[in-house]
Amino acid sequence: MRASFVSSEVVNGLRRNVSMTIAMILTTAVSLTLLGGGLIVVRKVDQAQESLRNAADVVVYMSEDVSANDPECANDPCAGIRSELERASGVESVRYLNRQEIFERATEEFSNQPQLRELVRPKALPAALWVELGDNVTPRAVKKQFEGRTGIGSINDQSQFVRSMVGKLNDVRDGTFLIAALQAFAALLLISNTIQLSAFNRRTETGIMRLVGASRWYTQLPFLLEAMVSGIIGSVAAIGLLMVLKEAFLDGLLKPLTEANLLTAVSYADVAFVAPILVLVASVISGLTGYLTLRLYVRI
Amino acid sequence: MIRLEHVSKTYKTLARPALDDVSVSVDKGEFVFLIGPSGSGKSTFLQLLLREEVPTRGRVIVADWNVAKLPRRRVPKLRQRVGCVFQDFRLLNNKTVFGNVAFALEVIGKPRHTIRKVVPEVLQLVGLEGKADRMPVELSGGEQQRVAIARAFVNRPLVLMCDEPTGNLDPDTSQDIMLLLERINRTGTTLVMATHDHSIVDSMRRRVVELSHGQVIRDDARGVYGVGR
Repeated sequence: MRASFVSSEVVNGLRRNVSMTIAMILTTAVSLTLLGGGLIVVRKVDQAQESLRNAADVVVYMSEDVSANDPECANDPCAGIRSELERASGVESVRYLNRQEIFERATEEFSNQPQLRELVRPKALPAALWVELGDNVTPRAVKKQFEGRTGIGSINDQSQFVRSMVGKLNDVRDGTFLIAALQAFAALLLISNTIQLSAFNRRTETGIMRLVGASRWYTQLPFLLEAMVSGIIGSVAAIGLLMVLKEAFLDGLLKPLTEANLLTAVSYADVAFVAPILVLVASVISGLTGYLTLRLYVRI
Repeated sequence: MIRLEHVSKTYKTLARPALDDVSVSVDKGEFVFLIGPSGSGKSTFLQLLLREEVPTRGRVIVADWNVAKLPRRRVPKLRQRVGCVFQDFRLLNNKTVFGNVAFALEVIGKPRHTIRKVVPEVLQLVGLEGKADRMPVELSGGEQQRVAIARAFVNRPLVLMCDEPTGNLDPDTSQDIMLLLERINRTGTTLVMATHDHSIVDSMRRRVVELSHGQVIRDDARGVYGVGR
């Protein structure tokens, strides 16, 4: 196998078919950008789920009276509610956070939003019982059992919010993947079309190659490599596009969510995580499409 | 070297067979003219030798290879043993004379040093020394056919098949090309040439196999184009 001959054939093929090659690279780049975006969303959703899973399932906010007068939850009704919660089936842990501790937590959460942090005062915040549940009990059951008791201000079912948040992110991911799949289909057709055109343009060469006894593999390899090179260039362009989108678009769009600590910001590490996947997908898909096109449509 | 045993070839689109129970044997080093009107089966005959087509019935043997039974992956090996020359030269216009001849070796993976040694030798054999750097468009028809012959012969095939190699050339140039083919034949290469050129066949007095409607109607050891001419 003469590598220099094969590589010169690849370069000539790409150059001769330059407009189709550019179209193929751009379509591949757009579809891989969407795929990469979808993969980043999946990664973010996983991270968000993990972080939300570590948070409380139910938060029982105490009344103003309890919050102001019982910082240790040592007296009834707070102590009674706490011990009842601890005994309730399916409850894994109960932690009491008094007004000061809630204030410190809020200050930490709003660290990215100084204006909001300035507005928070300890007296405006209620003390709370932070409840983590096992798998065999629903937050709704706990809410139903304790709602309306003396000493309790309100009960917040955190899992409801988590579910809705994760659902929305999953919708974004599904939508991105759907568009990516359509784009990928267009890219496949373009790859197939480009190879057919390339083979047609070089039918004299391939005809001579066949007649002088070049192996099928030797004849097909330049076409396959052309498709793979275009695919890989497309994937590199997609990685660049993801970086540009992150800076120009995503960082701003996700700012409210990241500042509220609901999502971690999209970082270059996320782009670096999906980059090798995109290059691999591009090489495999373009190589496979090229191979099938040559077998089905092109006589070499 | 070449043996066709009761070979028939039928195409789905044609009512009658392109070749009909043809049996021909060609020895090593022979020079054979294949003649007959258009549609008589000459091209199909040559295509069968190259495994461009497979026979509907019968056996085709080329250099001890049973061509019809040859697995697909071995076909390139057969084609490295059988060179071909066509009426329309089929040169690559973006490559020089040297590049065109070298192409036949490059695509079968011959090393660069072999190519650099062998190509000038074959260009000298066909009388194109000093024209290695020319482009095909800068050459006359005869010179272009010489390049095509050099390309077909550079890998020293056992059989050289020529399909109307003088069809696009004037009589004088045709004579030069025939002298070249005769020289190649003298190296021991078996030569099968399909032609309509009366004067060449008549002047060379070599073996003539005449086809008509897919059947061999004449096989003369030292024949002429038309009987009784």
